[in-house]
Amino acid sequence: MDKKYIIGIIIALVVIVGAYMVVAPGSGSKVTIVGSTSVQPVAEKLATGYMKEHPNVKITVQGGGTAVGIKSAQDGTANIGTASKAISANDSQGLTQYTLGQDGVVAIVSPNNNLTGLTKDQLKGIFSGNITNWNQVGGPDAKINVIVREEGSGTRDAFQEIVLGKLSNGTKVSFVSSAIVQSSTQAVQQAVSQDPNAIGFCSFADLGNDTKALSINGISASASTIADGTYTIQRPFLFLVKGDAKGEVKNFIDWVMGPEGQAILTSEKIIKSTNSTNSTK
Amino acid sequence: MTEKTEEKFVKWVLFATGLSSIAIILLIILFIFNEGIPALTSVGFFNFVFGMTWAPSNGQYGVFPMVIGTLGITALALVLAVPLSICCAVFLSEIAPPTMRKILKPTIQGLAGIPSVIYGFFGLVVLVPFMRVHYGGTGFSLLAASLILTIMILPTITSISEDALRSIPMEYKEASFALGATQWQTIKNVLLPAAVPGVITAIILGMGRAIGETMAVIMVAGNVVQIPGSIFDPVRALTSNIALEMGYATGLHYNALFATGIILIGVIIILLLIANYFNYKKRVTIGGGYL
Amino acid sequence: MPYRIEVKDLNVYFGESHILKDINININNNMVTALIGPSGCGKSTFIRTLNRMNDSISTFKKDGSVLLDGDDIYESKVDVVDLRKKVGMVFQKPNPFPKSIFDNVAYGLRIHGENDKDVLANKVEESLRAAALWDEVKDKLEMSALGLSGGQQQRLCIARTIAVEPEVILMDEPCSALDPISTTKIEDLIHKLKDDYTIIIVTHNMQQATRVSKYTAFFLNGEIVESGLTEKLFMEPADKRTEDYITGRFG
Repeated sequence: MDKKYIIGIIIALVVIVGAYMVVAPGSGSKVTIVGSTSVQPVAEKLATGYMKEHPNVKITVQGGGTAVGIKSAQDGTANIGTASKAISANDSQGLTQYTLGQDGVVAIVSPNNNLTGLTKDQLKGIFSGNITNWNQVGGPDAKINVIVREEGSGTRDAFQEIVLGKLSNGTKVSFVSSAIVQSSTQAVQQAVSQDPNAIGFCSFADLGNDTKALSINGISASASTIADGTYTIQRPFLFLVKGDAKGEVKNFIDWVMGPEGQAILTSEKIIKSTNSTNSTK
Repeated sequence: MTEKTEEKFVKWVLFATGLSSIAIILLIILFIFNEGIPALTSVGFFNFVFGMTWAPSNGQYGVFPMVIGTLGITALALVLAVPLSICCAVFLSEIAPPTMRKILKPTIQGLAGIPSVIYGFFGLVVLVPFMRVHYGGTGFSLLAASLILTIMILPTITSISEDALRSIPMEYKEASFALGATQWQTIKNVLLPAAVPGVITAIILGMGRAIGETMAVIMVAGNVVQIPGSIFDPVRALTSNIALEMGYATGLHYNALFATGIILIGVIIILLLIANYFNYKKRVTIGGGYL
Repeated sequence: MPYRIEVKDLNVYFGESHILKDINININNNMVTALIGPSGCGKSTFIRTLNRMNDSISTFKKDGSVLLDGDDIYESKVDVVDLRKKVGMVFQKPNPFPKSIFDNVAYGLRIHGENDKDVLANKVEESLRAAALWDEVKDKLEMSALGLSGGQQQRLCIARTIAVEPEVILMDEPCSALDPISTTKIEDLIHKLKDDYTIIIVTHNMQQATRVSKYTAFFLNGEIVESGLTEKLFMEPADKRTEDYITGRFG
């Protein structure tokens, strides 16, 4: 019988603790950040850094995409919406934008691929399916294996918008339908690194040693070419706040724009633009 | 606590747990239907199930290539895994000496405990490049997914089939030997037929694992929404579709992923019905008595 | 007349335990020999030695010889499959295969290479008639054998055994799991079969031994205490231990 009582007490304790954790109101203030999945990892790093210094503040970061970020900020369902592309004047009404910095998107190939660069039009041709053989862009006679991210990925959206663009009737140009879909940056890099005929893309910040970034129109991606805007496949990371930031939200954004926040952004390879036309604020 | 109240208490607790597990399953199904039905009604059931194009950004939701993908991957995996597993089970239960069995059985069961992402990673790093080099294309393919699944369901089918073989009464074996049958004749004519219901159960469980497996399949199948022209073409499974896009989906796209789940449940139910029908038929043909 | 089976100085061990000790016995052709004795005395082990069913037990060891028609069945050139075709066996518990009645009887014929449908049908009918089961099952040959009663199942097992035309039939307590009526039917069957087959039957039941057998051997603790004509063994036992056993003082 003793054993039964002990087990009973343990179960009771687990239930009580669990219930407390569910029901207990968070002490201190809360900030919610919702939006672009590309911004999400950076925002999480910033939130963790801020919470370390301000233990009574709780910041939650969620994905959903840029569209959700804009909508949540406008509705006020999130304190901060995030976006990984420049937003239209129509969407930005009533929103204050804070630019974290610029993120480059690079086309990557295997180190065994001798190609070093493409033009933007060639890149568009490859990813939209008009160019299917490496010999059409000065490479060997081999079929091009295109590797893309899954529908909904922020990097995919940015690449589609910047490189593929739109048709004259306004619809987005689609990726070639035979493109292999991989579900993470690491999976794309793994797939590209081992196949000399593959091409994919990833965020400049995630560029590793296993893959080679191609220069576009003769300009290779680097901190300086992204900062001055000469490397054109890039997108801004934005925080959107309805009206003026107040209270804890303002404190957080001030901290992000201050030296500690900037240090984190730099380590995440989010590059501060030096080109005034790129800067939103 | 008196004997009687304890008895009642235990009965009540068991009843409650049984009921709650049913309730949880019903709730999950209800939730999936609740979230998925809007997409089915807005796209149209037939357009959804038989549509050939999946492009949520353009508002096109057709899962037919993925139904084919799921069925193709699962069928090929079973075709590869079932004979292998049954041979393995026969070897373990009838031929392997006891010491070898003591080593082999835990090893095979251990395979079932390896997380699927490990299998997927193995496939991505070893199998896919191998297939690219030897069969061309990208290496991401239906065959790659089926091969990984074959390894994953092998332990399940082997170990349950082996249990079925071992549970066959010794008397059947002795009767066969006493009539002058060789070991192989005994295995083929007496043991395997008697183990059929158990083997079918094993196959059903293996099939369930193959259909439901997501992570490993995402990593090696290539996830292209197309009806494969050959087993070397990349495909997308229904499970992969849900897992790939659920992180971002909103609105109709989100509902469409739940609707994909409904279709998946439908596919599984149909396959289970077919499997159980075979199981039932197999028993009936034996005649009055069951094993 | 030469003996059908001659057993000389047979010792059987399972690992460390010495199960059968210095067994010497001769079995006559076309007669029923009963083996009696208390449980655990080695009767079953002994008849399983006669068709090498103990070979599959990894700890089995033996010395001495078992001759069938003058040839040692344990010699390396002997094919166990051929031996078991010649020496059939019926087990304690009826053990038909989970197949149809027809397939049960045809099983032995098929594994020995007989596939002709008409031949199979004739042999099955012949065997079922010989086992006195034909009239009961002739309309339901495709039914599962597991649907038969215990006594019918045991007669089916006998039919299955005689279908492959053995010379010797070993029966290991064939009636111990059956009711009295079924037992009577099996005993009648043994009477009928003894003209064509050499039958060795292990039994617990001394009345059964007197009813069916011509010769009897009494086993005790792995040894044969006494053997001889059944009538003589039961009426005038030479050994005190035999007398004690048959008069029910132990066992």
